[in-house]
Amino acid sequence: MNLMQQVLNGLVMGHAYALVAIGWTLLLGVARLVNFGHGQMYMLGAFVTWWAVVKAGVPYALALPIAMACGALLGVLMQRVMLRATFEQNLVSIMIMTLGFGYLIHGAAALVFGSTGQILDTALSRHEINLGELWLTGQDLAIVVATILVFIGLRRLLDGTRVGRLVRMVAEDPKLAQLSGVNVRRVYYGVFAFEGAAVAFAAGMVAPRTPILTSMGFDEVIMTFVVVVFGGIGSVKGSYVAGVALGLFTALFGALVSLAYTAAAAFLALIALLVLRPGGLAAGAAGGVH
Amino acid sequence: MARTAWSRWALLPTAVAVYLAPQLAGGSGAAYSAAVLIAIFAVMAYGLDTIVSDLGEVSLAHTVFFAAGSYTTALLATRAGVGSWATLAGSIAVALLLAGVIGLVTLRLREFVFSLVTYAVAVVAMTVAANWQFMGGSDGVRGIPLLDLSLPGIPLKAQDDRTLWPCAFGLLVAALYLVDRFRHSALGAAAVMSHLNPRLATMSGIDLARVRLQVFLVSAPISAAAGWLYAYQRAYVSADVLENYFLILMLTAVVLVGRRQLLGPLLATAMVLVQEKFFSLGGYVDKIILGSVLVLILGFFPQGLAGLVRPLAALLRRRPPARP
Repeated sequence: MNLMQQVLNGLVMGHAYALVAIGWTLLLGVARLVNFGHGQMYMLGAFVTWWAVVKAGVPYALALPIAMACGALLGVLMQRVMLRATFEQNLVSIMIMTLGFGYLIHGAAALVFGSTGQILDTALSRHEINLGELWLTGQDLAIVVATILVFIGLRRLLDGTRVGRLVRMVAEDPKLAQLSGVNVRRVYYGVFAFEGAAVAFAAGMVAPRTPILTSMGFDEVIMTFVVVVFGGIGSVKGSYVAGVALGLFTALFGALVSLAYTAAAAFLALIALLVLRPGGLAAGAAGGVH
Repeated sequence: MARTAWSRWALLPTAVAVYLAPQLAGGSGAAYSAAVLIAIFAVMAYGLDTIVSDLGEVSLAHTVFFAAGSYTTALLATRAGVGSWATLAGSIAVALLLAGVIGLVTLRLREFVFSLVTYAVAVVAMTVAANWQFMGGSDGVRGIPLLDLSLPGIPLKAQDDRTLWPCAFGLLVAALYLVDRFRHSALGAAAVMSHLNPRLATMSGIDLARVRLQVFLVSAPISAAAGWLYAYQRAYVSADVLENYFLILMLTAVVLVGRRQLLGPLLATAMVLVQEKFFSLGGYVDKIILGSVLVLILGFFPQGLAGLVRPLAALLRRRPPARP
């Protein structure tokens, strides 16, 4: 039965990984942007949610949109600074800038929120659901439901709406899209705003599972990276599958082998994939968003 | 050519001025301490500089080479009682081994996938360093003896930062010489060419994978040598040598003044360290400053500070138009 409990934990964690990674999937697929500040944006989202609930006394359901708005604003700001490099596709500068942003966000968050750990407690996380000998919290269930909804929503948005069509056009060929009258700049801003809002939402949902610290965020970047690459760069459905698979892997590895080395193990599996199939990756990178 | 020769001669008085700088800055312990750290961190950054400026890739694993130097030194010096020259050799050997493995694994990876993998290498290295008891776990390794580079007839033992300064300066000069030689070598030219136009480079007979691996093998020992001296300077080593601070500092050092400027990383490191040591506004605000400098320079002045100064210099140099 313990094994079944681990599988259930893995499923919840897997949905959490997928939810944390969704913004990056779109960012990479559409704008070929890599955000090394992703982990710190996750941390900031968690702390804004915590601040809204604990310090400002806002209900949790309202704290999430507040965190998302902050995340989106931060995303737009970052994109503003990186706009020139984005248009030039100067990846070297973009990567270094996102690292710089991550560092800056860490410093600012530590200054505002302090360096002590906090607990983000929600009514859902106190609510236990028992299924025979298995159990999970209401928060866990909410993470799974929210992830599925966000993924279906994003897929619908990309496939079935005008905005989705514009985004896919920019992903396919930004210069040609611009010539045909698409406001590429606005799409880039939009994609980065989505990245900021999505990771803040994910943080608000997932952070109640663990204590939150301003120094966290590194594991989140690695896990997101593994999800995005395993899922096939730019693939929304692939990210979901990869997220769930990674969750099962880390839960079982953590329970059966070693908890401290789970991120390292997930990363080593990824290295194996990269060395064995580097060509597959490049093909995925060129495939835009789908 | 005349200009190159002239600027080379100018290096000598510059070197003397840099050597005397802590003395001229008051000669206090703090001045020497800052000077030693500037030299160490600049050398660390020169390792990365060859990858970013010449090869055009962003390696985020250079903190690992820096840490490899520190840890190898710490472990050899405390557990095997090995001398300072031997720990330097050991640090370089371990860095070469690591660079070989990372280089081979990432040989065919480009751009962001390369950077992500090297970043992940750094995060995994931190997990290992903080958890593995052999490397001291979260306590780190304490009790590293004093640096002793004495040769027969020449006593060279560093008691404090003041006596460590000549060694740090020597290491800095060695690193500068190595980077300068690299830039004037066939390998350096091949690296720049494979960065600017990979197709042309291949056509002219350059083996891209080989060049990448070779540049990696040149750059890693430079950062590792900085780690070697850092271990002696601090007398203990822990997983915090893998912290993001070193990565951000290195990247800032590479881009702040301007890429492919020989003295750029040294000047940039000096600016950052002087701010942190003498005009600090607290750890967190310093973080915000360093992060902002890095972001703003790349976002709005991609040529670095040199790009700002150059038009001014051109303006001053412009002669009045000749009269008809």
